[in-house]
Amino acid sequence: MPKAATLQFHGAGAVEVAKAAGMRLIETGRAAEQLTGDTVAKLGGPAGAAHACRLLSRNGVFVLCSDSRVTPEGEVIAIDLDPNDTPEFAAEKALELLQELGLFADTVGDYSADEEEEIRKRLSDLGYIE
Amino acid sequence: MAERVLVIGLDCMTPQFVFGPGRFDLPNLARLMRNGCWGKLESCHPPITVPAWASMMSSKDPGTLGIYGFRNRKDHSYDGMFTANAAAVREKRVWDILSRQGKKVVVLGVPQTYPVKPVNGWLVSGFLAPNTEAEFTYPKSLAQELREAVGEYIIDVKDFRTDDKDQLLGRIHDLMENRFAVARHLMDTKPWDFFMMVEMGVDRLHHAFWRFCDPEHPEFQPGNPYEHVLREYYQAVDARIGELLERVGEETAVLVVSDHGAKSMIGGVCVNQWLIDEGLLTVNDDLSGRKRFEDCDVDWSRTKAWSSGGYYARVFLNVRGREPQGIIAPEDYEAVRDDLVRRIESMTGPDGQPLNNRAHKPQDLYHQVNGVAPDLIVYFGDLRWRSVGSVGYDSAFTFENDTGPDDANHDYHGIFILDDRSGRGGMEVTGLQLMDVAPTVLSLLGVDVPADMQGKTFT
Repeated sequence: MPKAATLQFHGAGAVEVAKAAGMRLIETGRAAEQLTGDTVAKLGGPAGAAHACRLLSRNGVFVLCSDSRVTPEGEVIAIDLDPNDTPEFAAEKALELLQELGLFADTVGDYSADEEEEIRKRLSDLGYIE
Repeated sequence: MAERVLVIGLDCMTPQFVFGPGRFDLPNLARLMRNGCWGKLESCHPPITVPAWASMMSSKDPGTLGIYGFRNRKDHSYDGMFTANAAAVREKRVWDILSRQGKKVVVLGVPQTYPVKPVNGWLVSGFLAPNTEAEFTYPKSLAQELREAVGEYIIDVKDFRTDDKDQLLGRIHDLMENRFAVARHLMDTKPWDFFMMVEMGVDRLHHAFWRFCDPEHPEFQPGNPYEHVLREYYQAVDARIGELLERVGEETAVLVVSDHGAKSMIGGVCVNQWLIDEGLLTVNDDLSGRKRFEDCDVDWSRTKAWSSGGYYARVFLNVRGREPQGIIAPEDYEAVRDDLVRRIESMTGPDGQPLNNRAHKPQDLYHQVNGVAPDLIVYFGDLRWRSVGSVGYDSAFTFENDTGPDDANHDYHGIFILDDRSGRGGMEVTGLQLMDVAPTVLSLLGVDVPADMQGKTFT
């Protein structure tokens, strides 16, 4: 099972960053759950949510927590947000941190078969490859 | 220290037309040179768009990047290849570093920026984007904004291998006009500390029209209708650069760079045909007609070496325990490779004279050799001959190109012009290499240069 952790975002825009990071993780085939104030309430409050973080992350699910009341259990990575960053860029920085920690490998980048052929033909036409 | 840095990249812009005795009249570039400094910029090995721009902007050599050309071996299988797009660039480039320093960046058309990755600013990817249906901008909404502001973004010249030169010339100009229109829009509407664009049309023009303009090209004919298209294009680019320069003030340092130069191409060396003739490569095909090497039935049990074509050759050895059906014993590897270097470098041309080939071992070129590198990187005839990968030729040389007309090959040096507003007074600089650009940009912006950058800061 792939390793995971809880990312706890601190600062303005934490909900949007958590959402952007979750989408990027899911795009790469990883499981991710966002923990907002609403979900914390449904889990019975901060204590229940904190325990859910442990259960999810030890089962390979990244938890993206933007509720500062929660003190997650299990492996936690705290991220202080730069208010000047866009949510997508802040999410990118968070994912790079996961890569550095060996928790994530970015697999986005492969072309589809049609795109690969289109690019191959373009490069061949341009003389770069034969 | 500059408040902002503008980098104008011109793929393949070649020193002889900007600095040389036969230079074109380019008033805007000349002004930058007069006020700042200028010189030749040594390219990387190989001097090709990919990996050159990534090497320039990461200050890592291609071996460290593990990128040896557009198409790279994925593993040691015979057919596992991948295209080196942005996902292949694992090292941080200047805009990544600046983004993390809180600087606002604009990146436009730089090769190997597709698939896009978020930056602290705006990014429009280069020509490895498959089409504009793909997500080619960051943020995604920028694509629609550009459509509304300047029309559809042109990724590259369509139908490049055509004999209709008038139409092709028009499309190359369209590419350039579109790229600068996007640049003007971004410059006018976005706040930025670092702005970088790359214009690809210069490269396309050289390959398509060199023979019409260079009296040294074997097929040059004086008075032909395209005799001045290179000069006219350079001047059009210069005028567009002037429009960008009008938009920046004295607080902005301006850098104009190219990734490599260009020179007249004489013909092609049919490298796999030559390997067959040398007894190093065996195919089970009827070679009475031309055939792509990828389509050949290679007898790997009787093959020691094969190669990929392009503007240079990547030669691979078939090593036991490394390739699936390798036959070269590992202990014989260096001896076989040395023998191949000797054979390649002693090759004579169709006229019987030495061809002046160079065969480089990656380990001799790079700080590190990552990924699956070619065993040899080969330049034929001092890059005046390209590498033809297909087989079925009567000799190892051809004056035709099996992918269509092509007149120019890449040369080892591009251009470097810097006006950092410090009053350098037109000084010529020497000894610069692509990897010096990234640390120089960071220094201009007062940002610490990472210790692992391999280039030097130009001050």
